[in-house]
Amino acid sequence: MSFLDALRYRWRVLTRPNDHETELAQDMEFFVNTDAQHRAHAGRGTLTPDDARAAAARRFGNRTYYREESRRAAGLAFFDVLAQDARFALRTFARTPGFTAVVIATLAIGIGANTALFSAVNTLLLAPLPFRAPDQLMNVTLTVPPTSTSPGQPDMVWSYPKVEALRESQNVFTDLTAWFSVQSTLRIDDDALRVSGEFIDQHYFTTLGVAPSLGRALLPAENRVDGPAVVIISDDLWRSTFNADPSVIGKRIGVDLAVFTIIGVAPPRFAGVSGRAEFWVPFLSAPSAWDAGFFTDPYQHTFHVIARLAPGVTPDRAAAVSRQLGPRIDARFPEPGPRPRHWGVAARSLDATRIDEPDRRTLYLLFGAVSIVLLVACANVANLFLVRAAGRRREIGVRLAIGASRVRIVRQLLVESVLLALAGGVASVAVAAVGVRVISAVRPALWSSQSASGIGTVLAGPMHLDVVAFAFAGAVAIATGLLFGLVPAVQATRTDLVESLKVDPGAGRRSAFSRRISVRDALTMLQIALAVVLLAGSGVLVRSLMNLVAVSPGFEPRGVLTMRVNRAAAWSRDSIARFYDVAIDRLRSVPGVTQAAMADCTPQSGGCVAQEVTALDHAGGPYVSRAAMHWVTARWDEVLRVPVLRGRSIAETDRKGAPVVAVVSQSAARALWPNADALGKRLLVQGRDTAVVVGVVGDVRFGAMEEGLRPDVYISYYQFPMSFRMMLMLRASGDPAALTEVARRAVREVAPGFPLYDIATLDTRMGASLGQARFLAQLLSVFAVLAVGLATIGTYGVIAHTVAKRTREMGIRLALGATPRDVARLVVGQGAVLAAIGGLVGLAGGFAAVRLLRARLYGVGPNDAVTMIGVVAVLLVVVLVASWMPARRAAAVPAVNALRAD
Amino acid sequence: MASSEKNELLKGTLDMLVLQTLSVQPLHGYGIAQQIEALSDDALRVEQGSLYPALERLQKRGWITSKWGESPTGRRARYYTITAAGRRHLGNEISSFDAMLVAINRVLRRA
Repeated sequence: MSFLDALRYRWRVLTRPNDHETELAQDMEFFVNTDAQHRAHAGRGTLTPDDARAAAARRFGNRTYYREESRRAAGLAFFDVLAQDARFALRTFARTPGFTAVVIATLAIGIGANTALFSAVNTLLLAPLPFRAPDQLMNVTLTVPPTSTSPGQPDMVWSYPKVEALRESQNVFTDLTAWFSVQSTLRIDDDALRVSGEFIDQHYFTTLGVAPSLGRALLPAENRVDGPAVVIISDDLWRSTFNADPSVIGKRIGVDLAVFTIIGVAPPRFAGVSGRAEFWVPFLSAPSAWDAGFFTDPYQHTFHVIARLAPGVTPDRAAAVSRQLGPRIDARFPEPGPRPRHWGVAARSLDATRIDEPDRRTLYLLFGAVSIVLLVACANVANLFLVRAAGRRREIGVRLAIGASRVRIVRQLLVESVLLALAGGVASVAVAAVGVRVISAVRPALWSSQSASGIGTVLAGPMHLDVVAFAFAGAVAIATGLLFGLVPAVQATRTDLVESLKVDPGAGRRSAFSRRISVRDALTMLQIALAVVLLAGSGVLVRSLMNLVAVSPGFEPRGVLTMRVNRAAAWSRDSIARFYDVAIDRLRSVPGVTQAAMADCTPQSGGCVAQEVTALDHAGGPYVSRAAMHWVTARWDEVLRVPVLRGRSIAETDRKGAPVVAVVSQSAARALWPNADALGKRLLVQGRDTAVVVGVVGDVRFGAMEEGLRPDVYISYYQFPMSFRMMLMLRASGDPAALTEVARRAVREVAPGFPLYDIATLDTRMGASLGQARFLAQLLSVFAVLAVGLATIGTYGVIAHTVAKRTREMGIRLALGATPRDVARLVVGQGAVLAAIGGLVGLAGGFAAVRLLRARLYGVGPNDAVTMIGVVAVLLVVVLVASWMPARRAAAVPAVNALRAD
Repeated sequence: MASSEKNELLKGTLDMLVLQTLSVQPLHGYGIAQQIEALSDDALRVEQGSLYPALERLQKRGWITSKWGESPTGRRARYYTITAAGRRHLGNEISSFDAMLVAINRVLRRA
């Protein structure tokens, strides 16, 4: 087994090189000693032992030399040389700290940013959902098919009676579950935690195919009104709050206002379909979910539905069957009112709906952008190595001339490149870790299902640094470094040794040198072009963001604190109205509160209700239109500082018994009575009550800033008491956030059973609504800045190198009468040409790419002139920065020096 | 520095001589050197030290193995043994060497 023998030998040499050497020395020692003995014996006394030994040593030859030769033969010398190469490389790096730092930073940024973003893409889009056989899970939604007057809606939530109807009439799913996501306060011992949870039915865990790691899931009988109050908690919560105590089963904790018994702990990393849940509660026994008609009213839509395909049923068939079920379910629950909507049903794979389509596009867009950064980084590394290669031609020529082998030089350069790549790789881990943290941190704003009104948005699992992405980006960047790190070796072996040893290797104009210049130029132009693509994209997005920020919301968001008031189930509508009266009065007397009011929704809070309204007193007969309906109390307009344009706002006296009134927004007035004065006109509200319009107020943007203005109708809460949870709005004289505790205490004094939650200043809500636009603009800007920075460095490298090589030419020019200014202009001109060509290509590509962003733009077209001017300005700066130093150096060189020196 | 041509020639020849020597019995380094000197009648005048790189080379190829043992005089010595693969290699080398010798002789005689 020669192979095994050889392997054993090599293994020993590799793992125990010192033993190997010692034995070799011992063997040689034995050889020489034995020879000396033989000689002494043969000489029979004519030879002293010392002489014999000397003769033996002579006969053996130079022992050090043969030890070295043996080491080489054993393959050990390789490591000696490697260590030598590494030491040499480190010395080289120390001599060129600028080059070293830039290469390492470039690699770190390129690899790190890509890894971070790919980790996000992977978690949000690619990684399998953390459920059993996730490809069998379907997201079943209600739809509103498009009509001639409205575009329709693809993703709507279900009402409980409709879910039941679906369950009975379908035959393509083995299991289906209804759930919705909540924010609740958990009370554990003396602690209170505000966490996300899910209200679920008894089919939830079986449908997802997830079993609790401790305890049990829900029993079928446990999801019923007045059923046992039980809760399953997340593994995270179990570990952080209960110290992973297995006896937690049976323990009682508070969920909002009721006490629940823990029956199970979910498996590690399971965070529900919402991706954020810390607890699961059967919704029928959860009192805080109770709202009149919450599970009996077929028109109160609250639930998401996830279904598992029956064996042998394809997703396509399930989708087709669901589509057919739509009209049948719709027919069972015809919508009342003069213009009923018709509902359909759609089923899509859960995987396809895990993230909103716009978010998905955003992620791909960002991934594209960060890939450009990687490309620019690679081009930069390549360029830097090329520039350096030209500078090292002479060094390598000298080393070849004094006898270094080609292999030796290639290996030397490889060692340098590998060391640089390793350093860059290590640094990039830090960049990637920070990047992942940043993306995870902005996730609530960007990926929150609330921003999409909780529809069709599924999140799964926390983000981790992705090893595959890291390996991929690392391999690409490092391969670039290795490839271009070897260029000098390849050139050195290809070019004429004598030529490279000449004092000025660049003097041979037609040598390989001039060809390489053009490769470097091409790389530089590529960098500039790619950077310009990102610059154009981020520029247009920033302009769009500025437009959005500049949109007047129609109210004054500064200084307003908003919160939801949860009412206890036991309170009747009448007593609630009285409570609101008392609470508002009490709050108005709190120091620091200048005004207080309530409304069913505030701007940017979500949950506003759109309804049909019928304009009577209309020129062509009754006119039906849709408008957002707002149940408000008096002075809501003062809290929000919405201007009353005509007439009056809702007043304290607009109560039961008084004439029914309504206030309309300017848009509503225009939409309902286009050519008439809205004041005094009658309006049919909620299909039954006639209200007289007593005032017109300014338009308020309740939804996203980029949406158009919508008609709003305001009615008095006291004339139309309803079961919704109301929102409290306080205008503060100082910092509104400081009022949180005071408000909580004031409300508790009036009625202890009314918890306040979802507390946020209007400013915060505004910020969150702009969050995505801001995040996108910021991230793209960061990428653009990185790319421009890298491109600047790349351009600088090329120009500086050319200047260094043309010092003699500059000197001659200066000597022949050129002014320093002429010389500087020559240098800057080179940069300008690079930037002009790269910039033109980049602009063309950039504005083509911006078209992909069209849907995200507000008030700015894809061919934005301002952005284009901005890009050109940035390019000018790049040229100036990149050529300033080299130009000065070129102009400042004394002519004599230039002629004499290298 | 010795001329590399001579080196190459010697390397191959020395390897073959070592294998041939070991094909009779396992020997320590000094024993191998003595055998080669005796057999070649000092015709191959190389320094004895050059044996060691050859021994490493042959071990690396798996043609010989080494093991510490005791010499007849009772001292610790490293003994080298030819492997089956080494014997095969030696056979091949000798037959191609023979063939070459025949060819060279034929050419020289006719010239």
